[in-house]
Amino acid sequence: MSATYALEMESITKVFPGVRALDDVTLRVKPGTVHALMGENGAGKSTLMKCLFGIYKEDGGTIKLNGEVCHFKDSHDALKRGVSMIHQELSNVPERSVAQNLYLGREPLKSFGIIDHKKMNEDTANLLKRLEIDIKPERRIGSLSISMQQTCEIAKAVSYNSKVVVMDEPTSSLTDNEVAHLFKIIRQLREQNVAIVYISHKMEEIFAIADEVSVMRDGKMIGTYLTEELTNDKLISLMVGRDANLRFPAVSSAIGDVLLKVENLCSPNPRSFQDVSFELRRGEILGIGGLVGAQRTELMEAIFGVRTTSAGKISLKGEEISSMSPRKAIEHGMGMITEDRRGSGIFPLMNISSNTSIASLREYLSKLGLLKHKELKQASVRYNEALRTKTPTMETLIQNLSGGNQQKVIISRWLMTLPDILIMDEPTRGIDVGAKFEIYQIMSQLAQQGKAIIMVSSEMPELIGMSHRVMVLCSGRCTGILDKSECSQENIMRLATKFM
Amino acid sequence: METKKLLSDGKRIASQYTTWVTFVGLLLLLSILTKGNALKWNSIRNLLIAESVRSFAALGVGMIIITKGIDLSIGYVVCLTASVAASFAQNPDYSSAIYAGQSFPLFVPIVAAVAAGGLFGLFNGYLIAYGKLPPFIATLGSMSIAKGLQLIYTKAAVVGSLNQNFKNISQGSVGPVPNLIIYVIIAAFIVWVFLRHTRQGTHFYAIGGNSQAARVSGINVERDLMMVYFYAGLLYGIAGTLLASRLGLANSLTANGMELDAIAAVTVGGVSQSGGVGTVSGMMIGVFTMGLINYGMSFLGVDSYYQQLVKGFIIIVAVYFDMKKYARRN
Repeated sequence: MSATYALEMESITKVFPGVRALDDVTLRVKPGTVHALMGENGAGKSTLMKCLFGIYKEDGGTIKLNGEVCHFKDSHDALKRGVSMIHQELSNVPERSVAQNLYLGREPLKSFGIIDHKKMNEDTANLLKRLEIDIKPERRIGSLSISMQQTCEIAKAVSYNSKVVVMDEPTSSLTDNEVAHLFKIIRQLREQNVAIVYISHKMEEIFAIADEVSVMRDGKMIGTYLTEELTNDKLISLMVGRDANLRFPAVSSAIGDVLLKVENLCSPNPRSFQDVSFELRRGEILGIGGLVGAQRTELMEAIFGVRTTSAGKISLKGEEISSMSPRKAIEHGMGMITEDRRGSGIFPLMNISSNTSIASLREYLSKLGLLKHKELKQASVRYNEALRTKTPTMETLIQNLSGGNQQKVIISRWLMTLPDILIMDEPTRGIDVGAKFEIYQIMSQLAQQGKAIIMVSSEMPELIGMSHRVMVLCSGRCTGILDKSECSQENIMRLATKFM
Repeated sequence: METKKLLSDGKRIASQYTTWVTFVGLLLLLSILTKGNALKWNSIRNLLIAESVRSFAALGVGMIIITKGIDLSIGYVVCLTASVAASFAQNPDYSSAIYAGQSFPLFVPIVAAVAAGGLFGLFNGYLIAYGKLPPFIATLGSMSIAKGLQLIYTKAAVVGSLNQNFKNISQGSVGPVPNLIIYVIIAAFIVWVFLRHTRQGTHFYAIGGNSQAARVSGINVERDLMMVYFYAGLLYGIAGTLLASRLGLANSLTANGMELDAIAAVTVGGVSQSGGVGTVSGMMIGVFTMGLINYGMSFLGVDSYYQQLVKGFIIIVAVYFDMKKYARRN
């Protein structure tokens, strides 16, 4: 007989070096319900799901499917056992047809191993009809809209007879109409007794579709609630209401004149940031808050000239800069510590010294145009010592350092260019607690020296603890700039979810 | 943790010297097998001369591979530049000369060949840096273009009967030291200074190591990428000139397959296909290691068909270890 719960994850614990990503987390999902999983960025939702699908091996706890203990090797194994995942990013083969994608890896065969296209297309057509999805099985899947492609992934999950479907932010790239259609299909699945785990930041959606809501915070499960018991405000306070136990250094520097002025900056991509304006002053730390997908990184990259803009002005120290590029930004005293340290920060096979000096070579040339290696190295040593980078030697490859020390090398790189403005995109991501505090101290000292810092952060305590002001983005638009006195987790969260 | 770092550093240093260890090991092996006969000054001199032209190609493609690129057009570009050089160095009384009845000063063939190589480099570089073509495809196309141009320019004939002054460029010597060896030493030194001591050279490593981080660090990735193909093109031009001068002719078979020899040599010399890693000394050792293998097998009387076979395996083994070494970071 069927169990009370379709999916039970009991006391799941997962420890990464230096951080307890999941701490005794229990999630129980009933069949025939939509169960929302909510929490701030980094609360542990994705980690929990990765444990379910065997991408991570949990350090403790058990996973039960229909009351039976199970462990999946990978997502394909899970799919065969009736647990499927609809990802934020699509994972289909765009050049193949809808039917071919649905039956990828398990194509119906005729004799001699020839694929039975007719049967495949017919089965697909029947399935799509049952789900009231109006798509021809022969259509090339890449030619469909994103929402239709997503719908096909759901159809694929159904075709595997999935009993549990996990949806990770399925609406992040959908329009309102498309969301309505998705919800219709979700309700159909619910009627067919499928359990749906719905991960989303969007309050409105949760109240529209979810039966139950589980809230995670800091790797712990706060609780599971019936949607009727919850209000918008209650949900927000559950998500953010932690005691701020991290101490931050004082940031009481004197605020000076305007260094950076951004006016009505727009991205050429209509889904990205639009019409953003703000000012940054000497000695100030401006925090940038928002949820994943708020286009914070995109905005920072545009200000630094890595991305193009379609309208708006960027002025540095009163001088308007047209067609910004990283080179120009650096010449005008800007530096940028990117969010993706591996992807766009470190040069993994170069040593500490070269990683530090790479953006400042221009200032260390002899009359013949040759590099002054000795002075470059001395300067690298000086900056890294000032930040207390821990490394065996300056010749050590940066890839052999810990995340925190890599970050210090990259901060050293930018300090060596003698910047006035530092953009720091998630400066403490993937860094252990001790190094985190050191980075906060460095930031505070820099502000006291009269430098201006923009800090993008997904961590509320960090945003509130370090910033003089916090600008909040939602769906690419600035929904407000909060002064220190107005900076509370609730206010930030309210602005971050304004258009959701 | 500390010992782990030390170990990995130790491994890195050991792997830096594997190219040297291989080279010296091969030398010893060969001298044992031939009871020292293979290592007489005359033989070594011949080996150095034979590998000298390839060194230029290796230096060029070595820089390109450091930026995580590749160049398949080397062989035919060198063939084209050799033909261009030869065409301006033919004896004026030679009736089938391309510019029959005309004689040019000695600098003309050199400048013309280097310019032709440079233009091809710029063409490749522009397609790759600004046109965003994959280097493999861009240089595959230009390889065929170079071959076509060579055939059109020479009407598929041998460009022979070169004047003695031109031939002396490669065939002469200073005392006991052949000119070619001196040229190689000068070229290697210049490339070394460039890669090690200039901003752009450093940028090449950065681009190959992480082009996105290079861009954020203010490096003009497109311009630098275009320039690396340009510099390589200049080196191919010099290679073409020296080759025509050494052989005393150029035809459509000149420098055939040189791209594979050069790529194999620098790979054996520790220039990583993953980009961002490689030294001039490694490139040169790689060239002479491959040369030694060829020469050793000939000396031992191994059939040339087998030589081809052995070379193929060596390339595969070298890249296999290279990939094992650097793939870990993903």
